[in-house]
Amino acid sequence: MENSIYVAMSRQMALQRQLDVTSNNIANMNTAGYKNQRMLFTEFVERPGLHEKVSFVQDRAVVRDLSNGAMTQTGNPLDLALTGQGYFTVDTASGPRYTRAGNFRLNDQRQIVDAGGLPVLANNGQPLVMPAGTSDVKVSGDGTVATELGPVGKLNIVTFKNEQLMTEVGNGLYVTDEQPEPAPVETKVAQGLLEGSNVKPVVEMTQMIEVQRQYMSAQRMMDNEHERIRTMIQRLGRSV
Amino acid sequence: MRSLAIGATGMIAQQLNVETISNNIANSTTTGYKKQRAEFQDLLYQNFRRIGSTSSDAGTVVPTGVQVGAGVRVAAVARVLEQGNLNITDNKLDVAINGSGYFQVTLPSGDTSYTRAGNFKLSPEGVIVTADGYPIQPNITIPTDAVDIAINSSGEVMVKLDGQTATQNVGQIQLSTFANAAGLEATGDNLFLETGASGQAVTGNPGAPGFGRITQGALETSNVNVVQEITTLITAQRAYEMNSKVIKTTDEMMQQASQMK
Repeated sequence: MENSIYVAMSRQMALQRQLDVTSNNIANMNTAGYKNQRMLFTEFVERPGLHEKVSFVQDRAVVRDLSNGAMTQTGNPLDLALTGQGYFTVDTASGPRYTRAGNFRLNDQRQIVDAGGLPVLANNGQPLVMPAGTSDVKVSGDGTVATELGPVGKLNIVTFKNEQLMTEVGNGLYVTDEQPEPAPVETKVAQGLLEGSNVKPVVEMTQMIEVQRQYMSAQRMMDNEHERIRTMIQRLGRSV
Repeated sequence: MRSLAIGATGMIAQQLNVETISNNIANSTTTGYKKQRAEFQDLLYQNFRRIGSTSSDAGTVVPTGVQVGAGVRVAAVARVLEQGNLNITDNKLDVAINGSGYFQVTLPSGDTSYTRAGNFKLSPEGVIVTADGYPIQPNITIPTDAVDIAINSSGEVMVKLDGQTATQNVGQIQLSTFANAAGLEATGDNLFLETGASGQAVTGNPGAPGFGRITQGALETSNVNVVQEITTLITAQRAYEMNSKVIKTTDEMMQQASQMK
């Protein structure tokens, strides 16, 4: 009999998580390479009795919007953006990680590193090292990095069959068990540009309002149900 | 509720963004100033339903998991080392670096500091010093009877003495470059210090491969583009507002939960 309260509660718990996802999108609206996330809900059916069927709500998955973010010009020669599908590869102690945040720089060993200091890998699996005494870095559309002394290497730009299977590990990095595949030829590297996050603030704000109103309506439903049970107990109690 | 903390990380990050932008705008006319840019990263993610876990007895695998991020943080405030414009001043001791490199300055403590601000002056002893009176390295002394100073693009300082026709070489301005110049530590007064992240200074003459050239009678202006800064400022302000809205919404939802009968 109290099932309707539990159904409303399952809705409220799902909505809370949805608000968490939306607020993470809003917090990252200026994070380079960030991809907007969306919560997916499913019905979760349970059969408490023989003829009854109660359907709860459950948050099933978080999906990423994989569309490209807006490009901004930064004037930094090591800010690289990918126009199209694909990821840069960086090296960590626990294997390669993939990222679309192209705010790279040189470290004291003249390696190209990401914002967290992890070396960016070339297609031979080695970090890209700029020779000493060079100051002019040129990155061409196909990912070839060159200085005034000639080419240094080619960035390892990869893609995956199912990008939704990639897991965020924070700091703009993703990890996956899938085998990397070469990025399509249409994907080009743009030098001096950064891909912004693809969060659409207006959409997120309306989403947040919607979450709040739905939370309220679930609340009202719980209050009404509570009221109904209380009146029922009072009336039945009086007739005895 | 998580979203309360997430909204707070967003507000903190945007506040630092506004602080960076305001420092850029404040230094938009500072000689040799290099603008800074706040860079953001998403924080750790919490797995509520791991990717690849099964969703039924039949072994169906969930295509995507439920991962909720913990917000945002400032990964770095990076310096943009783009060349500033050269502003012609026609002052004999104003020199600008056209390309990479830093002037070396001897601090009163004896340590070496680096600067791009070439608004040099003469000390009472005739030594070329920065606007703060710190001598440049190597020391260059201009004789008191010099009537003209010429600094060529490779940094040679030539003077013409009173009553003479030939010029005389009195010194050589040297430049330092760094593997990662963005890793230099700014100490204020247009000065930078070498750090572990910048790599060791490589010294050479202007015009040598990898070193910029010297232009006499010009100053390198700051590379701050005011219009760009203002638009970034507006973006930062709106992002701050939206994050505060997240906190307000969460607060209202928590209020409802606490008023439950």
